[in-house]
Amino acid sequence: MKLYLELIILLPLLGGIVNLLLGGRLLPRRLTELLACAVIWGSFAATLGAAASYTAPVTVELGSWLAAFDFKAPFTLYLDPLSLSLCLMITFVCGLIHIYAVGYMKDDPSFVRFFALLNLFVAAMLVLILAENLPLLYLGWEGVGFCSYALIGFWYRKPENATAGRKAFIVTRIGDIGLGIAIVWMFQLFGSVSITKLNSMGYLMPIGVITALGLLMLLAAMGKSAQVPLMVWLPDAMAGPTPVSAQIHAATMVTAGVYLLMRMFPLIGVSPTVTAAIAITGALTAFYGATCALVQRDLKRILAYSTISQIGYMMLGVGAGAITASTFHLLEHAFFKALLFLGAGCVITAMHHEQDIFRMGGLRRTIPGTFWPFLAGAVCLAGVPLTGGFFSKDGILGAVWLKGGGFYGTLYFVGLITAFITAVYAIRMVLIVFAGEVPLNHSLSKGEGKPLPRIMEWSLIPLAVLGVFGGLLNLPEYLGSGVLNSFLSQPGSHEGMLPHATELLLQGVAAVVAVAGISTAWFRYGGDRRQQRLALESAPARGISAFLMEGWRVDALYDFMFVRPYKWLSSILWQWVDEGCIDDTLDRTAALFGRFGHWIGARGDGRVSRSLIGMAAGAALMIGWLAWVML
Amino acid sequence: METYLFYILAVVTVIGTILAITEKHPVHAIVYLVTSFFSLATIFYLLAAPLVAMFEVIIYAGAVMVLFMFVIMMLDLGRSDEARRPELKQWILPIILAGIILTSIGTIATGYAAAPHASGSLTIRDFAETLFRKYGVAVELVSMQLLFAVVGALYLGRKAKS
Amino acid sequence: MIVPLAHVLVLAAVLFGLGLVCTLVWRSNVIMLLIGIEIMLNAAMLVFVGGSNHWGVADGQVFALIIMAMTSAEVSLALALVVYLHRRKNTVNVDEFRELKD
Repeated sequence: MKLYLELIILLPLLGGIVNLLLGGRLLPRRLTELLACAVIWGSFAATLGAAASYTAPVTVELGSWLAAFDFKAPFTLYLDPLSLSLCLMITFVCGLIHIYAVGYMKDDPSFVRFFALLNLFVAAMLVLILAENLPLLYLGWEGVGFCSYALIGFWYRKPENATAGRKAFIVTRIGDIGLGIAIVWMFQLFGSVSITKLNSMGYLMPIGVITALGLLMLLAAMGKSAQVPLMVWLPDAMAGPTPVSAQIHAATMVTAGVYLLMRMFPLIGVSPTVTAAIAITGALTAFYGATCALVQRDLKRILAYSTISQIGYMMLGVGAGAITASTFHLLEHAFFKALLFLGAGCVITAMHHEQDIFRMGGLRRTIPGTFWPFLAGAVCLAGVPLTGGFFSKDGILGAVWLKGGGFYGTLYFVGLITAFITAVYAIRMVLIVFAGEVPLNHSLSKGEGKPLPRIMEWSLIPLAVLGVFGGLLNLPEYLGSGVLNSFLSQPGSHEGMLPHATELLLQGVAAVVAVAGISTAWFRYGGDRRQQRLALESAPARGISAFLMEGWRVDALYDFMFVRPYKWLSSILWQWVDEGCIDDTLDRTAALFGRFGHWIGARGDGRVSRSLIGMAAGAALMIGWLAWVML
Repeated sequence: METYLFYILAVVTVIGTILAITEKHPVHAIVYLVTSFFSLATIFYLLAAPLVAMFEVIIYAGAVMVLFMFVIMMLDLGRSDEARRPELKQWILPIILAGIILTSIGTIATGYAAAPHASGSLTIRDFAETLFRKYGVAVELVSMQLLFAVVGALYLGRKAKS
Repeated sequence: MIVPLAHVLVLAAVLFGLGLVCTLVWRSNVIMLLIGIEIMLNAAMLVFVGGSNHWGVADGQVFALIIMAMTSAEVSLALALVVYLHRRKNTVNVDEFRELKD
């Protein structure tokens, strides 16, 4: 087991380092690509091995890392069902994305940096997932943050890409402060940073302290998982290459916040305030993301907002105490969102780096190999009954319903409305991109579509299969016991179960909502109505849709609330305090001394020997006087 | 015995220094000065400071004086036809000033009731411990200062851009 | 203690006076001026070492050593300056360097 765990983390790390050091000059391009993919699949194989020999949660200490007095944070890995299933998902999805990236980055000259960062990212993510103590988790947390920053700004020659990278880095840093404070504070309270120990020591502290800790971690999760109010970075993060968006900003990294909350749930879940805060954050974010996705024109921004929204669902699930349902949705979302992003990458490549969906159309016939997997991903996202997305989303909504009460009841309805909007925008996206005819002015209409590398379309298929049939992983109770459910439920956990009749009823409601959403989208964009809709919406957005288009104008609000006051304060400090007061004081003092020096200097003749004589005479005077006094 | 040695060495030092400062030829002056420093080093040795004595010989009489010699030769100042001792009247004022200082210090030094000195001899171990324990920061500062001196000397000594 | 502290101090004072005379007299040669400074510094070292011996503490010797280190830095810089000035004006006469006045 120890060997497997070591391999899981060390292989991607090794791949990244080798590529970084040797790539480009010593290794041919093929070998770099092969190495980058091979290490991830090797890691996947190691995870499989670990899964095969898994019997009970294990803790493996690989070596010491930080140790000072009674503070100890060794390299300790912890494998339990949660981390195991996430590891399987990450290595598998990232493996596919790496293969895809080989095709996507075919013409990019700085592929070495790309693959090295991608591998390092996987290593950091696995450290985050497998960490047994919080400092190690923090190491992975910051590692993925750094790789994300470097990859968003991968094409750094365009200033807006670099700005997007910086924005992501700074905004997530705000959340990280919460995590940092929480870790230090927990060490001070409990004298330990081990996650397993902390989770069993919650009863030692009053509920108020637990609430504060929980809120700090929620802040961290907000930053990392792009939750309201720190969600502004994710749409801009789409400046990076599409495989990066798929891997980091859809499938893995953004779920790290949710993972943190799941991990620490035994500790922080006892505080009803924290769970309520998590749930309401999730519901708000889900609603926010869905509404914004409804009007976007940029294919990748639609998917970005949709990611925000789906992660909101996971948070809602965590807030309702349904860790299993959330994990299920996390895995399912990773599959279909990676699929959608990769499909979008295919579309964008085929359209010669055109991302505006209003200039697309008719791709159904041009690139059928992309269309069918993309459609599968979209129906998963829309929650069409019997797809994986349906079951996982329903699991979360069911858990929220089960909590009952006015608060969770409201959240349930928010979730339902969001599900409806989700179905609308998912189908809208498919219809606009793939249906209809190719726009006349586009090169595709002249039959000059850029041939896609075969490898890109192939890597979509496993994801599509997993997305659509992922429901089998965790069937509802009435169809037999879910695999994931029995695997994830730890002994002693008390996640409630719905009665079968209620569950069926809820699923029926969800199905009706999904179908209603799809029909709405069809009536707006289906068939011939597509063209006139497009003509209507191509005009610059106004009113509510402009509001949604700009993501509820949150960027402008933050600019008004934080950025401008900050700049104003800095300019005051710079021009008035620093230049006006400090510099001016010093300048004038210096000028005063300078004038005094000139005045003195005008009285001397500048001979060094005269000065020396004067100095000696002064010294003689002083010493002579001293001797006179002493006698 | 050691007392006599001290006075002999003191006389040698003073004579060497006087010869050094009155010598019109810089190279000869340096040589007199080296003699003076050697006897001063021996005085240090007698005053229970063997390490300082060694450094006096190595650094002062060795490195610093050689540096002077080197610069004199580099600037070609050693030619005896150009060497010229300052005129006699120039010596008057400095000697008066130095005499005032000398008598003052002498008065203070002899009129001062010296406190009883502590017994026990100073070993090199004491020296080292004081140097590195008590004045560790000073050692660091001095090392920085030497580094700056190297940089400054390199900067000043480089060839002017032509 | 082989001699009274006062005698050491008097010797140091004599050396200091000689160094001062050297510094004040040799205005025509900046190198001799520097040598005068060296003599004065040596006198200071002698005071430190004598005091150290008198009171039986090593601090004085440490300061003598620090003076020595400081002197080597000072001499290297000063001689570099001499070389630089000689290159500019082709003289070592102290009174030729009067630009500070202007």
